[in-house]
Amino acid sequence: MKLRTFWRENSTVVTFIGLLAILSVLGWIFMGQKPFVRTTLSGLTLAALYFMVAAGLTLVFGLMDVLNFSQGSMFMIGAYAGWQFYTNPTFLFGLAPLILAPIAGLAASQWIHPLVVNWKVPENRQKELQALFIVLALIVGLVAVWGVDFRGLAETAMVATMVAADPLAEATPQEPLGSFWFRPVLLLIAGLLIAVAQARPGDKTKVVYKDMIRNSRILVVVLLVLALGAALIREPGPIAVLQMGGNLRFVLSLIVGILVGGGLGAVIEATLISPLYVRPLYQIIVTMGLAFVIAELIQVLWDPLPYAMSRPPAFAQPGKAENILAWFRGGNTTVDILGVTFPSYRIFIIVLGVLMFVGLAVILRYTRLGMIIRAGVQDREMVEALGINVRRVFTMVFALGTGLAALGGIGAAPFIPVEPIMGDKFLMQGFITVVIGGMGSTTGAAVGALLLGLARAFGDYLALKFSLTPAISEASTVIIMAIVLLARPAGLLGRKE
Amino acid sequence: MSDENNHILTVDTIHTYIGQFHILEGISLTVRSNSITVLLGRNGAGKTTTLKSILGLTPPREGKITFNGKEIQGKRAFDIAAMGIGYVPEHRAIFRNLTVAENLRIAERKKGDLERRSEFIFGLFPDLKRLYKLPGNHLSGGQQQMLAVARALVADNVLLLIDEPSEGLAPILIEQMMEAIRELSAATTVLLVEQNFIMASQLGEDYYIIDDGKTVHHGTMDALVEDQELIHQYLGASVRVRGGER
Repeated sequence: MKLRTFWRENSTVVTFIGLLAILSVLGWIFMGQKPFVRTTLSGLTLAALYFMVAAGLTLVFGLMDVLNFSQGSMFMIGAYAGWQFYTNPTFLFGLAPLILAPIAGLAASQWIHPLVVNWKVPENRQKELQALFIVLALIVGLVAVWGVDFRGLAETAMVATMVAADPLAEATPQEPLGSFWFRPVLLLIAGLLIAVAQARPGDKTKVVYKDMIRNSRILVVVLLVLALGAALIREPGPIAVLQMGGNLRFVLSLIVGILVGGGLGAVIEATLISPLYVRPLYQIIVTMGLAFVIAELIQVLWDPLPYAMSRPPAFAQPGKAENILAWFRGGNTTVDILGVTFPSYRIFIIVLGVLMFVGLAVILRYTRLGMIIRAGVQDREMVEALGINVRRVFTMVFALGTGLAALGGIGAAPFIPVEPIMGDKFLMQGFITVVIGGMGSTTGAAVGALLLGLARAFGDYLALKFSLTPAISEASTVIIMAIVLLARPAGLLGRKE
Repeated sequence: MSDENNHILTVDTIHTYIGQFHILEGISLTVRSNSITVLLGRNGAGKTTTLKSILGLTPPREGKITFNGKEIQGKRAFDIAAMGIGYVPEHRAIFRNLTVAENLRIAERKKGDLERRSEFIFGLFPDLKRLYKLPGNHLSGGQQQMLAVARALVADNVLLLIDEPSEGLAPILIEQMMEAIRELSAATTVLLVEQNFIMASQLGEDYYIIDDGKTVHHGTMDALVEDQELIHQYLGASVRVRGGER
């Protein structure tokens, strides 16, 4: 009886594992041990990357019905941010105060609301007044960034990558704090001006709740402190980071990736997506547009070139480790696994992907946030009726999704080219993964990623062996998607509705 | 209006639109503290929308709602709920992919709510204790309905909005559900939507009849049971009244 219920609940996963096992045995016999192990490991590496993009997509879609077309861009931003931070963080440190200051201003919108709501503005003039404030904000913002050498800042890491120069020499081509300080201050004012426009002076129909005002105050203070701190460590920061050991710096860049991706996700959700929950089509257009904007910005800053981030020292000692333990001591570039010499960094990616899956599963299973997410995927209205602020949960989940993608991007940066088209590439694969696995299911995303990654790897192997066009491995993913959709329109582990 | 302090909920001519449709066209009602008030009316009359409007899930565009002395119209649903309103939606909307324990735990507003209330809840619904670890989709319809009511009891709610608790239940379970609602109404106020007139007439103290989005009649349940004509006019001929059982 118990066995039967277990089968009913988990038949898809069990069938999937069984099929994989049979295929593995066949592969082992017909391909021989070495090619089989090598191809499998390559497939797992790809699967880990696909999962990192797909996890956020599926979570966000499941809970909020939002198709986030900028998820690939978050992966890309993660890769660029990691590459920058690891190679030469001058750019990130220089930019941080300029980004945090206006956001701090923007966050004050609800705080400002009670001050401006009683302005005597005739109703037909209210829109014009808002427009006026926004134009003013744009002017102030332009003045604030006038003359900042963004390209120069961006090039600091580029130079370090291209000519392998000493990054420390490139670390401080910045204006001194004495003349820099007015920029974040002006940007803060620009943010405040937009906040005033958003508070809609004179419009008494806009409702702002007490807790929103309190949250707004807390957020503004936190962001101001962060901006101030960022402005102060703008110059000593990069030098201190560059003087750290490479491994520590790499771990830090992983953390920076989560913060950059998550923070960006929170801002995107709160400003661009949350006003559009009633218009799902517009969300697609907004996130798609965002993806284009991000890709263009990146090309402006770093040109449409592929960059290679160097591996952290733990994966860079020449030579082969006999086994994982030996690698742990030696930090070699390659490691021997079942007779196959495999890059140790790729093993790290596989481990990172597995850790992410386990971490996500633990969050979903054992935390209150996870419980709310699982409940909200099924019935948002009821969650709200229990007294839970679903909107806040949305922001957190969106940030979690983009943070994971950015972390994946940083993880991937040392072994795939960091380039402006990587966002599109991984977005496409991420979507196929989610469609195969079933929208809204994290386990589904893992299963889909495994399927896709292995299909790509074995497709490449077959193409090489029988000298076919490598396009068949790319096509295989779409073919798998078509087959899955024909058999299970909701995806392998999708909601049955 | 002299005994206004005794009213925990006052709904004053609310108008609610869903999309283009004007669903509620001026609903007014009052609910006395520690009583059971029943909303009656045909399918599609606006009973469920009335509950959802009170809770802010379908916010009314016009009108005033006073709960516990505070105006709550225009507030967000989770704020209204957090003021002490529990909601048991129709169709037993429990979280099917959560366990029974999680379905209850998620309704906590303070840590430890569930522990404090578990004795009361399991007293009302002893079955739930046995099912505690099972996922929601393993429960039968009756068990799901009990869980949905229990979930509304976890936090300190002073008002419960219960939508058709008897829908699709076997007669024996309806008895059990009625017993539970009668018992819990000793501690809280209940606003009940119920199509099953036998259940409604036996539980309710006050009634409101809603027709085409308007409140058309109200009074005490005792008076309604006597008034066969009114019942037939608004609740349809299908209703069989067995007033003698009361």
